[in-house]
Amino acid sequence: MIRHALARLRALVRRDAIAGEIREELQIHVAMRAEDLERQGLSPVDARRQAARRFGNLSVIQDRGYDVRGGGIMETIVQDLRYSLRLFAAQRAFSVVAVLTLAIGVGLSTALFSVIHAAVIRPLPYAAPEQLVRVDVQVPQTGGDIFRLAPSLVDVRTWREDQRVFRHVAVDRGEYNLIVDTGEAERLTVHRVSEGFFDVFDVRPFRGRAFTAEDTRPGTPLVVLLGHSYWRARFGADETMLGRQIRVAGESATIVGILPAGFHPLVSVWQPYPREIVPETIRGSGAPVIARLQPGLSRDLAEKNLSQIVGAFDAAQGKNAATVRLDSLYEETVAGTGPMVGTLSGAVAAILLIACVNVAGLLLARGATRQRELAIRASIGAGRTRLVRQLLTESVVLAAAGGLAGVLLAWVTLDALVAIVPLSLPANVSVSLNIQVLIFAAVVACSTSLIFGLVPALRLSGVTVSTALSGADRRSGAALPRRSGQWLIAAEVALGVVLLAGAGLMIRSFARLVSVNLGYEPESFLTLQVAPLDPSPAVAAQYYPALVAAIRQLPDVEVAGASDQLPIGGRRRAGFVKVADQPPIRIDEREVLPGFFEAIGLPLKQGRFLTDADLAAGKSVVVINEMTARKVFGTVSPVGRLLPVEDRQPEVVGVVGDFLQDGARSPVRANVYFPYAGMDSTERRPLVVFVRPRGAAPGLPVRLREVAQGIGPRVLVDRIWSGADFVSESVTVPRRRMVLLGLLAGVGLLLTVVGIFSMTAYAVARRTREIGVRIAFGADKPDVVRAMVHDAIWPMALGLVAGAGGAFFATRVIASLLFQTTPHDPLALAAALGTLAISAIVAAWIPARRAALVDPVVALRAD
Amino acid sequence: MSKTNSDQLHGTLDMLVLKVLEDGPLHGYAIALRLERVSKQVLQVEEGSLYPALYRMESRGWLSSEWSATDTGRRARFYRLTRRGRAQLAAERESWLRLTLAVQAVMRS
Repeated sequence: MIRHALARLRALVRRDAIAGEIREELQIHVAMRAEDLERQGLSPVDARRQAARRFGNLSVIQDRGYDVRGGGIMETIVQDLRYSLRLFAAQRAFSVVAVLTLAIGVGLSTALFSVIHAAVIRPLPYAAPEQLVRVDVQVPQTGGDIFRLAPSLVDVRTWREDQRVFRHVAVDRGEYNLIVDTGEAERLTVHRVSEGFFDVFDVRPFRGRAFTAEDTRPGTPLVVLLGHSYWRARFGADETMLGRQIRVAGESATIVGILPAGFHPLVSVWQPYPREIVPETIRGSGAPVIARLQPGLSRDLAEKNLSQIVGAFDAAQGKNAATVRLDSLYEETVAGTGPMVGTLSGAVAAILLIACVNVAGLLLARGATRQRELAIRASIGAGRTRLVRQLLTESVVLAAAGGLAGVLLAWVTLDALVAIVPLSLPANVSVSLNIQVLIFAAVVACSTSLIFGLVPALRLSGVTVSTALSGADRRSGAALPRRSGQWLIAAEVALGVVLLAGAGLMIRSFARLVSVNLGYEPESFLTLQVAPLDPSPAVAAQYYPALVAAIRQLPDVEVAGASDQLPIGGRRRAGFVKVADQPPIRIDEREVLPGFFEAIGLPLKQGRFLTDADLAAGKSVVVINEMTARKVFGTVSPVGRLLPVEDRQPEVVGVVGDFLQDGARSPVRANVYFPYAGMDSTERRPLVVFVRPRGAAPGLPVRLREVAQGIGPRVLVDRIWSGADFVSESVTVPRRRMVLLGLLAGVGLLLTVVGIFSMTAYAVARRTREIGVRIAFGADKPDVVRAMVHDAIWPMALGLVAGAGGAFFATRVIASLLFQTTPHDPLALAAALGTLAISAIVAAWIPARRAALVDPVVALRAD
Repeated sequence: MSKTNSDQLHGTLDMLVLKVLEDGPLHGYAIALRLERVSKQVLQVEEGSLYPALYRMESRGWLSSEWSATDTGRRARFYRLTRRGRAQLAAERESWLRLTLAVQAVMRS
């Protein structure tokens, strides 16, 4: 078999040698026969003639022999390949468009689906992720309500010792941004977890050890683990860091271990929880619990068993028996991603489809122009299989080039997509090209090119050589490609409309989102986030008022103040206002240094702002916002009245306007503003300084940094942001949605335009002769152009209608992603239809204009 | 000529060529002469059709070939039966005998 193949390969290289050998052998035969005949008495001439006659047609036999001995099918394949490549090189425009179209279809869909896969299908890159659960306790209240609370530490300990339900269970207190001092202070993400946390994920430290129960006890010396990427970046992967000391939030800590690469790469330092005296039996202390179920145990059964354990414990304490609820960590991770994933998948599928339709249209159009060539080849003896094989080879070459370019494109765009995809990618998932998706997209795109590449060959049976050669076919362009070409245009336009409508909605929604009046003036202030390295409350209580006073002295500063919260987001501190005979009213407590309201532009509605005098006197006064005023005092003016918040009774001195403190999509909350340090609290958080500059003040950030570092204690300046930066950051996800969907719609539109352009261009090329005749008979040139465009108009109109209908249904998917915009927003749909209609007509008109340039003499003389 | 007939003819020609070569290597013309002696039918149409058949059998590994000198000192390509060729001949002889016996049995009854 191998020898045989080698012989064939040899034949490829040495086809002349083999043909010569065969010829020689056959000639010897004829010569021998002639000699024998001569010996029998024939004249030499007659002998030769008879020998030749008896032998048969020497060249035909030689060819037949060559078919057996020569290069055979491999040789034809090489021939076909050579011919295909020559054809592609000759039709450069066709090749580039077709290959790029395929590449975009294959590449983009692969890259995007790979990202989606990472975000949704396998977001928990751990062994047996289905065993991972979040644990909550449901406690029945006397009023009939059921509170869902985090388990108490005692609960966790009981379950850990019980061993029947959980293989591992741990408390996950979550992430903090703390100042870590390793000789150079920086604010880092510190994750606080109990012992057993890493076991839950089946993760062992890369070096050193994990936390033990001893590490979590109050009063023990602090030990920490380092994240792998932090360890590499900060310490150059120095293994001697084990056992060394660093300072975390002012406390000295020993490094006892380093975590493996890839595990929560954004966490720099891990710290044991609780390490302080916490109420161990109280549920709902706010520390979530996660666990890994024993293998083979269902969640239902686990819940039942745990509820029994908890119930027995509660009964012994004389309390209402609580039950346990388990939620899959996987479901929790992917919760809410549905609409976005659906939208992206739909958009990408639409692009893949448009790409396929394009390629189909291109191949059909080209096939139509080749009808004649194929007919000629058939008439001079090429078998149908041979022609099919030739076309198949061309399609394979096209598909291979497109597929290859697609993989390249996917590979190149992957990182960019990861950066803009509006899905929260779990931090510890690395995104790589997904092979199944790649194969799927490649198969779809390539089968398109195969199927439509073969159409001309399949149609060949219907074409007689005489009609093809007589050019009768060209009079109107062949019927099938024209009709099917129009269907393809309609399909493209429809898909394009749906894509554009989706993108239009996102743009509308985003425009609404950023134009929301937040209640303050984000454009007109800077924030300075700074904290003393020494975390003791006394240092902070001195530092911030001094800092604000120093900043007010700067020439460019109009007003400065401070607050314990960022303009948008950040943690809230909840409190309750208790008015007699009413359920407690939930409010957010904020601490401010005077100047804060003026700096961010919060309007004063009644009374006065807080002043420095309020700080100095240590008076018990507060300012409230309108929401609090309405909730607590109703229509009565609150100024001068006492506010019963928690166990204090401060006097309300002023009412300020409401503002959307969590961004445009959140509701207004009830706020109570205390003068700084006017509220005793165990937790003193760093303040954020708010500065309203006078005029443009370009050098102000640098000056602020200098002042913050120059007035006393060692401090860490985290960042200096404008209010607008916070607003912009708060709409990151909607912006990414808009950008990505806009990009996809742009690609879809581009492909559609290219498709219509090339199909019309081919139609014009095919009908050159007809156009020439028309012009020769006196047709108006604009009429000719119009006639060409007209062919594209009807399918476009059909596509627009179908697309509008499709968009009407498809955009429902994104309803939940829109802000104050209905999915049937008429403006977005109208814009989509308009954009597509105009682009499509232009795309048809440009090549159609060429029809008017046809010189009738040349056209009629052609061929 | 129907396909079956041509296949049969192919098969028969192959078998006869193998049989002719059983006694030793021969060049193409010598094979043709032997076949002529056996039956004028086989190569009735044209002698040249022998050669594609030889090439086919060679490509199947039943024959091997080499250029060599004839008795008269002329250069010619000689064909020789390979081991697989012998096995093929044995198999064809077997099935041929079985067929003829069956036909005889039917005709005598």
